Amino acid sequence: MKKKLLFADDEPNLRILYKTEFESEGYEVDTAVDAAEVLEKVEKNTYDLIVLDIMMPGMNGIEAMEKILSKDKKQLVILNTAYTVYKDNFMTWAADAYIIKSSDLTELSEKVKELLGGN
Amino acid sequence: MDPTLTIIMAGGRGERLYPLTRDRAKPAVRFGGIYRIIDFTLSNCLNSGIRQIYLLTQYNSVSLERHLKLGWNFFNRELGEFIESIPPQYRTEDRWYAGTADSIFQNINLLEQMRPKRVLVLSGDHIYKMDYQDLIAFHLETKAEVTVGAAEIPRHQASQMGVMDADSKYRVRRFLEKPSDPPPMPGNSKVSLVSMGVYIFETEKLVRELILDSKTNNEHDFGKNILPDMIARKEKVYAYPFKDKNRKKAKYWRDIGSLDSYWETNMDLVSVNPEFNLYDQEWPIHTYQGQYPPAKTVFANEKEGRVGQLLDSLVSGGCVVSGGRVERSILAPRVRVNSYAKVEESIMMEDVNIGRYAKVRRAIIDKGVAIPARFEIGYHPEEDAKRFSITPGGITVVPSGILLENPQK
Repeated sequence: MKKKLLFADDEPNLRILYKTEFESEGYEVDTAVDAAEVLEKVEKNTYDLIVLDIMMPGMNGIEAMEKILSKDKKQLVILNTAYTVYKDNFMTWAADAYIIKSSDLTELSEKVKELLGGN
Repeated sequence: MDPTLTIIMAGGRGERLYPLTRDRAKPAVRFGGIYRIIDFTLSNCLNSGIRQIYLLTQYNSVSLERHLKLGWNFFNRELGEFIESIPPQYRTEDRWYAGTADSIFQNINLLEQMRPKRVLVLSGDHIYKMDYQDLIAFHLETKAEVTVGAAEIPRHQASQMGVMDADSKYRVRRFLEKPSDPPPMPGNSKVSLVSMGVYIFETEKLVRELILDSKTNNEHDFGKNILPDMIARKEKVYAYPFKDKNRKKAKYWRDIGSLDSYWETNMDLVSVNPEFNLYDQEWPIHTYQGQYPPAKTVFANEKEGRVGQLLDSLVSGGCVVSGGRVERSILAPRVRVNSYAKVEESIMMEDVNIGRYAKVRRAIIDKGVAIPARFEIGYHPEEDAKRFSITPGGITVVPSGILLENPQK
């Protein structure tokens, strides 16, 4: 069975990039444009891992993560952001990883693999 | 800014003190006539120079809130001092607190806003006198991640409590919940180190531990989960045998865990030389008292046996003992004992009225109850058991709101 990932990012090009890249790595990939869509999708589907951008219009990724974890405390979540400032924020510490966004997806891809125990 | 933030957990149901906790949280239950249980922990804070306090409330918090507003409103925000009560925010979770650790986990945002260096976690329902600065100094000295305040309790009594097995430097090797054979403390084979529910944590460590714990299915309890887990991971957990500011022969720390122990700890106060000292001006216990006239006795008519008598008792403002006799009892404000009535070894909450010729013995009578003339409590156990709760120790508890009348003959 393919592992199922959900990527949330308000940047359309990044969503395309994540989808292409991670599908080529053999994952099933779903995307969301904002936190509201993430929460909607999480209601209906189960994901092995959710990758959240922090700065999104409306609810931010940290808040979305808190809501996800309050429903399923064992859900794996990666915060994937262009900013380092949130790293010290206690609210982000509940994430399984905090990754600084880059066009090079190596680090993200390795972290996904590590958290899912290889794929 | 003080690097220590204090969080007092005052959200438990207090079921073991039912019916006194039916309408009020356990920290708001009266103790010693004029005090509330929370006053002892808050006075410890005040006397230790602790001035930044969040109080996490939950069930039946109205009475507690009112008490804080009336009695503990003198901290100055402009100087960075505060006592703020925080009811559950449902910020992320749609439920009430699942355990002591969960109550703080759900309020991690408060820690994020303040970013204190350390967090002092206290429980709002214990009676003791402790200077928390001594604990903090010890914690800094050992460079521990968390230091747990410890009472020294005779080993045979400790098996109902959370016990720490520590090495000679007080580093904790094992944390045992209700052990059948409690390990002795270093250097004294007769007593065990019992957790007082007093913890000083390095903030970042606390946050990491709370998050780890939040992802488990355990009870989210400091004593049952967080501390044993930290010890299992070889984290630096230390015990601090507390220095008792009560300055009596034996160190004093009580968890009012049952109605019997509530009654007994209160009765201690009316003894000639109580274990718990309320009279130490160097460690004042602060509370709220309404503006009531002084306690009064009336009628000195010895010929007719109509004498207002108060013996070996604590009596609050506004009480009138009018031709009745009160012995070894504690009267909260505005209690009235009428002619020829007799009250012994009892605790009466505010506005209790004892009718003429009534007799009350070994009882706790909650707020506002009117005992009719000639009514007897504590003399006919079978009759009492039909209407009231009787504790295993034989104390009759009369709940507030009850309407009593003598059986029609």
